[in-house]
Amino acid sequence: MKSHAVLAAGFLKDAGRARWHDEALWYVREKRDRLVRSVPGWEELRDTAHAIKRHALANLSSYLEEFERNAAARGAVVHYAADAGEHNRMILDILRARGARLLAKSKSMLTEECGLNDFLESNGVEVVETDLGERIIQFARERPSHIVMPAIHKKKEEVGEIFHRHLGTAAGESDPTALTRAARVHLREKFLAAPAGLSGVNFAVAETGAIIICTNEGNADLVTSLPDVHIAVMGVEKLIPRSRDLSVFLRLLARSATGQPVTAYTSHLLGPRPGQEMHIVIVDNGRSDILKSARFHRAAFCLRCAACLNTCPVFRRSGGHTYNYVIPGPIGTILAPHRDLKKYKDMPFASSLCGSCSAVCPVKIDIHRQIVLWRNEIVEAGYLGRVKSAVLKTATAVMRNARIFTAAGALGRRALRLAPRFFYNNRLTIWGKTRDLPQLPARSFRSQYKAYRKTGKAGESRD
Amino acid sequence: MKTARVGGQTAKQAILSRLKEHAVAGDTAYPAYSHPHTGQGDLRQAFKGVLESVGGECWLAGDRAGAREMLAASGLMSPPGQFCSYVEDIAPGNFDAEAAADVRECRDVRVAVLKGEIGVAENGAVWVDATRLRHRGLLFLAESLVLVVDGNAIVPDMESAYARIDFGPVRSGYFISGPSKTADIEQCLVIGAHGARSLVVIVIG
Repeated sequence: MKSHAVLAAGFLKDAGRARWHDEALWYVREKRDRLVRSVPGWEELRDTAHAIKRHALANLSSYLEEFERNAAARGAVVHYAADAGEHNRMILDILRARGARLLAKSKSMLTEECGLNDFLESNGVEVVETDLGERIIQFARERPSHIVMPAIHKKKEEVGEIFHRHLGTAAGESDPTALTRAARVHLREKFLAAPAGLSGVNFAVAETGAIIICTNEGNADLVTSLPDVHIAVMGVEKLIPRSRDLSVFLRLLARSATGQPVTAYTSHLLGPRPGQEMHIVIVDNGRSDILKSARFHRAAFCLRCAACLNTCPVFRRSGGHTYNYVIPGPIGTILAPHRDLKKYKDMPFASSLCGSCSAVCPVKIDIHRQIVLWRNEIVEAGYLGRVKSAVLKTATAVMRNARIFTAAGALGRRALRLAPRFFYNNRLTIWGKTRDLPQLPARSFRSQYKAYRKTGKAGESRD
Repeated sequence: MKTARVGGQTAKQAILSRLKEHAVAGDTAYPAYSHPHTGQGDLRQAFKGVLESVGGECWLAGDRAGAREMLAASGLMSPPGQFCSYVEDIAPGNFDAEAAADVRECRDVRVAVLKGEIGVAENGAVWVDATRLRHRGLLFLAESLVLVVDGNAIVPDMESAYARIDFGPVRSGYFISGPSKTADIEQCLVIGAHGARSLVVIVIG
């Protein structure tokens, strides 16, 4: 498996595309900023969201039971799945019991996490993603590069090519409106034909047993209201105590995600429609482990809005496919190590630690601090590369001893003046590949300070 | 109470007991809060402004007769086509969704007219309680949607909206803000993805 740094270098080879990707995401970030400024008390709203999440997750088992009671009273069947395998088998069993061989599906990152589509396809069920972006990448046999805008890495000409192959649109057609119309006609037939529909869940309300789904396209609403079987899948962390809490989260969610005041559709489903079967599959798949961690449990507060992806300088300039975990970007970086620290050891280093992710997070997860702590864990576990380990060990020894540090500083200043580029731009120090050092001062801060104390004048810092 | 057939009670009990071992620390009390969205001025105008910014249309009508005239003059419901109305005094329909045995029979409806219970000024959303509809899918199959909202039912924000909703009798309810849309191809906004391709909200009084 290639590391983020290697994959990112590949992404950056096409400078034009890299810039286009960066700008597309920054545009969303700017829209978010405009919307956020229009809401009085935005910061207090984030604090409240954080406090509600903290409360809900500290009492999750009782809220789950309350939710199950209320959802069941309204006619839904509630299932619990300990892991991805159980989740996938449960869904297959539900479909098989009804003889359903076609599943219309709206967007769900949980099913990506569980690898549901491949599992169902290999068991003879045709899965049709109905979110436009998801359908594009399903045709392309790729994974989403972004958790809200799954096909953000695709240019419209590429989408045109894909639709030409799969939907028979005219060759060379790349107008987004024309392509969207073609997808509408194609997917309308699927909505009407599918015996079963599957959706994700944005929020589940304990006091009513309601599930809430937020979309712009309206695909989730067709998926949940047309077929005779509706399966909703959700992670345990989606529970919130009261309906009123939705006002807090809904005011934050779309503004943070796409810079909209709210999504076009916010659907509240309390039990199946008449004549329909509704199944709610509640999944753990490692979430209880995250919640058990004193250092890292706040990662479970996440609403999957992707604000941290859109703002991240590394994500914007490297694209979602350079992260090996199913959820990319800053939030993926603090979720992946829970899954497999060794496998995803490169991810916490794919960060500048600028803290922009934490600044935009609607539920105030301390994302960048957790990234630092994960680096810690990786070092402790011995997963750091040999070169980096040696460099850090040397740096630690130097910095621990004042005299060695002073001597090293003096030596470094001299050496860098004599042969500057060699030291930071050879094959071993990849740091220098895209960076230059600032001009170095002739004297250290310490000696300048000493001179200042003696003469009362700031000395020259340069030759 | 129905319970899981697969995974079953063992999975449930295992998950619930694991969740009790959480490490969530600090003040875990349920917070007291209120975050009113203030400073929007005239709520009808604010609602109209936001709704138009998300691709919807908002007509301010003096009364129900005025609304009926506006709709007739718009040509939105001029034949041919199927028009499904739950607000007959404003929009006479020719298609009865309540008489349709299957939701798929609503697939060719050109315009659906329904009552909206609440309008939300901060985000242009209208609360539609679909509990009494035989086919909630009508809301998303119809080519165009017209929602009729009482002017006094426009509230400043989501907090006030939820304060007005009693979920007791509700089986399904939707906040709808503008027509369906997507920006999945190069962030280019396209109105009319899978749901309604246009949305008109008529505010009465």
